[in-house]
Amino acid sequence: MRMKFFAALGFTVAMGSALMVFATPPPAGSGSITGKVTYTGTPMKMKPIDMSKEPSCAKQHATPITTENVATGQGNTLEWVVVYISAGDEGTTTPSQGVRYDQKGCQYLPHVLTMLAGQQLQIYNDDQTSHNIHPLAKVNQEWNKSQPPGSPPIDTKWDKPEFIAVKCNIHPWMHGYFAVLKTSHVSVTGEDGTFDIKGLAPGKYTVTAWQEQYGTKTQDVTVGAGAATANFVFTATPY
Amino acid sequence: MTLKKFAVTFALGSIALLTAGARVSTAQSHVNSPDPLLGTPSVATETSQVNGLTGHAEEGKHQYRRFCIGCHGPDGNGQGMNAQWIDPQPRDFTEATFKCRSTPTGTLPTDEDLFNAITRGFVTTNMPSWRPLNPQQRADLVAFIKTWSPRWAKEKPGAVLNIPPETAVTIESILHGRELFQKLECWKCHGPEGHADGPSASTLTDSKGNPIKPFNFSTGERFMCGDSNRDLYRIFMTGLDGSPMPSFADVIQPNDAWDLVHFLRTLQVALPNNQELTLWQSYKAAHGKDLKPIGPDSAGGAQ
Amino acid sequence: MSTKFREGANPMNTKWSRWKTIWTCAFLLIAIVLCDARAASALPTGKVMALPMFARKYGLPCSACHTAWPELNNFGQVFRDNGYQLMNDRDSPIWQNPSYFPISFRITPSWHRESTTNQAFDSVPGNGDGLGVGTLTQAGFDLSGMDLWSGGTLYKNISFILLPSSDPTAVWHFESAFIRFDNLWHSPWLNVKFGRFELDNLISEKRFLFLSANGGLYQIYHFNVPGSINNFGYGDNQIGVELAGHSANSYTRYSVSMLSSNEGGVNFTTDVVPGGSPSNRTYDVNLAFSQAFNAPGPPGESGFGLERVGAFAYIGQRPTNFETELGTQLVGINNKPFYRIGFAGDLSYKNLELMPLFMYGHDNPYLGQFGVPAGSTLPAGAQAPTFYGGFLEAHYYFNPQNVALARFEQINVGQQAISPSVSGVSGSNGNITAVSFGYRWYPIMFSRAGVALDGEFSRVRTIGQEPESGNGSGFIGNPTAAVWSNSIYFGIDFDF
Repeated sequence: MRMKFFAALGFTVAMGSALMVFATPPPAGSGSITGKVTYTGTPMKMKPIDMSKEPSCAKQHATPITTENVATGQGNTLEWVVVYISAGDEGTTTPSQGVRYDQKGCQYLPHVLTMLAGQQLQIYNDDQTSHNIHPLAKVNQEWNKSQPPGSPPIDTKWDKPEFIAVKCNIHPWMHGYFAVLKTSHVSVTGEDGTFDIKGLAPGKYTVTAWQEQYGTKTQDVTVGAGAATANFVFTATPY
Repeated sequence: MTLKKFAVTFALGSIALLTAGARVSTAQSHVNSPDPLLGTPSVATETSQVNGLTGHAEEGKHQYRRFCIGCHGPDGNGQGMNAQWIDPQPRDFTEATFKCRSTPTGTLPTDEDLFNAITRGFVTTNMPSWRPLNPQQRADLVAFIKTWSPRWAKEKPGAVLNIPPETAVTIESILHGRELFQKLECWKCHGPEGHADGPSASTLTDSKGNPIKPFNFSTGERFMCGDSNRDLYRIFMTGLDGSPMPSFADVIQPNDAWDLVHFLRTLQVALPNNQELTLWQSYKAAHGKDLKPIGPDSAGGAQ
Repeated sequence: MSTKFREGANPMNTKWSRWKTIWTCAFLLIAIVLCDARAASALPTGKVMALPMFARKYGLPCSACHTAWPELNNFGQVFRDNGYQLMNDRDSPIWQNPSYFPISFRITPSWHRESTTNQAFDSVPGNGDGLGVGTLTQAGFDLSGMDLWSGGTLYKNISFILLPSSDPTAVWHFESAFIRFDNLWHSPWLNVKFGRFELDNLISEKRFLFLSANGGLYQIYHFNVPGSINNFGYGDNQIGVELAGHSANSYTRYSVSMLSSNEGGVNFTTDVVPGGSPSNRTYDVNLAFSQAFNAPGPPGESGFGLERVGAFAYIGQRPTNFETELGTQLVGINNKPFYRIGFAGDLSYKNLELMPLFMYGHDNPYLGQFGVPAGSTLPAGAQAPTFYGGFLEAHYYFNPQNVALARFEQINVGQQAISPSVSGVSGSNGNITAVSFGYRWYPIMFSRAGVALDGEFSRVRTIGQEPESGNGSGFIGNPTAAVWSNSIYFGIDFDF
């Protein structure tokens, strides 16, 4: 028991040192999975947000921003889709660096933030107004904190994988997501709907795409030396 | 002679009934034993420690079945048969998220917090005060409630909020509290006059998506989590988890918090014997025209 | 008991078979208890409420306020003491959905069998000689009276009850009707009730769990010494005004009430109870006090529950004569006093509830002498009629939906209206011994309605007098022997 503990400790220290020595590029393969996420059907219309009740935010947006539940691009692409390896090599353990989440112009930046379970998360209020950050966690524990302008960042982390909706009750239009995962092999689609999961060793993987309104889609992908392709198509509904 | 026989019959009959009863009741003495009315709690048993009393989930189970099941439901998820008629909805114990805590947001409340909630009830909801139950029964209920979520077995309650002695009620304190009320955006929900009519008030939902109203200071005499100044202090410092009310513990210093308490009291115009209000009204009579109204217009000025 | 008539078919007839019957019934009850408890746990049952109007209003299960409806637990007691308010911000009727109406109905269809010994009847049906003495047995299906409850708050801290109650033939009377001003000066210690209501009895006969003819009353709440013209019954609702108060948790309670001694009859010279004794226009006073405390259990256990003890006293007057006009009685005069004092308890040992009560009753000697106005000479041997006695009732709650009941009651006459040495009548004339067993199962206990199955056996022995239940022919065959009266009862008690 005790031997095992020391062995584990030694291993962890060794791994940690290795991580520190080799720093950023994860010690993995050169394979990758790329692809595009699109939809068929008619997605709901994203509505412009009226921030007139919060002038300090409204003036930061020349044109009103829209809601982002189903953000789309040219060619029926879907933005803010989290594509990650749900089975197979799940990548690294706890990373050394934290991730940053911003409240700016009464908007969450980024709209969907991915992180590892246990990864440090810092939440900033860059606005001249008070926000309350209210992650509606179900698997993890929900909390709700006020953050007036000029407050230090809220330093926190999530212990269990979960897609956590985040809202600000003071500014009801503010809406975002924490994608807490147990893999670092993850990519979030841009406006063009593309993603690129890098650093994969050759092998078989299960890839999952999650969209906040339409749920998840999964497919198996075999990765060789180069880039494998996986495209996802969600069925959009107008409501 | 006949009387004697009667007495004997009575005694024997009673003993027989009681023996039968004891058999049935011992069969129910374990929390996880099948009960047609109750679902299976997620942990086998729990205890609670309140004011020197030890609560037992096995006993609390009987109390729960008698008193709580109609609203909080056989599965502890707040979906009892009356739940559909109740607004705000009964608490879902399986989530272990509680409004009235002395512990930081996102942590479990203490046994005493739960005990006090049961004792006090929530005046703004259908939850009555269970003070008529004796302290032991309430402690037993606390223990049983904890069996609905596995979190109680894995986590410890958060650190209890330290509430320093109350500062003096002065006009400076009230004025500073008023600035905080503006700056912390309390008025966005509670309204500039505490009428629960702030710009965001109508949009509020609880964490299950049900519409919820902010507290109306002008009509309410008692708060959900108590009625003293210390209770008020605790409410905004720890927040009401599961509701839109956030925790301000990280952003308000203790003395500032008392200032906010003193200002909030001035909003309770219906509360009798309200010394903060009396002080405030005499100040307002003299300096009312110099006060910047709370709300969006003075947003720049308050910072 | 008379041996003049033996009806072989009647198992109540001989001493031996009587006991066989009792034992059989006792074991049957135990069997029912065991079966029901099992069967009950297999049924998809819900939760309970006695006045579903309150259940509907607050959304609580019946069992929140009742140990087993209609008996109150302490939570229900506090609710009642607060004027049917939970004391949150939702008590005022303005919080209710406009379609909510605070009304409940309660009735109990039943089957029952009464068998009473030592009854006089005609030796040959129709001959009118009244010489037959024997057992009279009646059995069949029946209905209880119906309660049409309405109650609640008119405003925050103003509450009311209106209870028109009918007998099975739908002849109505107002069982209860009062308005109550609660928490005067924000104090739970000051509440004023005005109207017709039940005395603040620690052990309520209006809320108890027995329904049968013999078991369905506390004998001592209605007892008067044979020959007494007193018509007072402690269990009867009275009309007047009550000042009552309680601690926040109702552990400490008091009640002082002033009551009309005519029991609310609008006609001064007749009692509201048809056929009762004449009435009066004096005032009576009732005092009640009780204190509850928690009984700690052994170390590491959760305690035994709430123990309540209390005392009560009723001081009143009844007329011995009447002003008349052409012989018609107008108003009672020449009033003479009587009193009742006693103490009671409501003790719990986990799921077992024990309710003892002791009462002593004392009437002025004139009240024992019909037709002798106060001030005139009393007949030889006349003395103050007194009695003492009490009961012990036990409830065992298997769970909120199953309760087994048992009660033993004994009342002895302390002093006959006329000394036995003068009258030659036995000093035990009128003594009552009663035993009752019952079981109630509440398959439905929603906050909208309740159903209870009620099974009872009750046996009463009255020396030389008609039983309090009124069973039998009303004429005693042998006035020196005991009258045995049995009730077997099965009813389905429902309210909504």
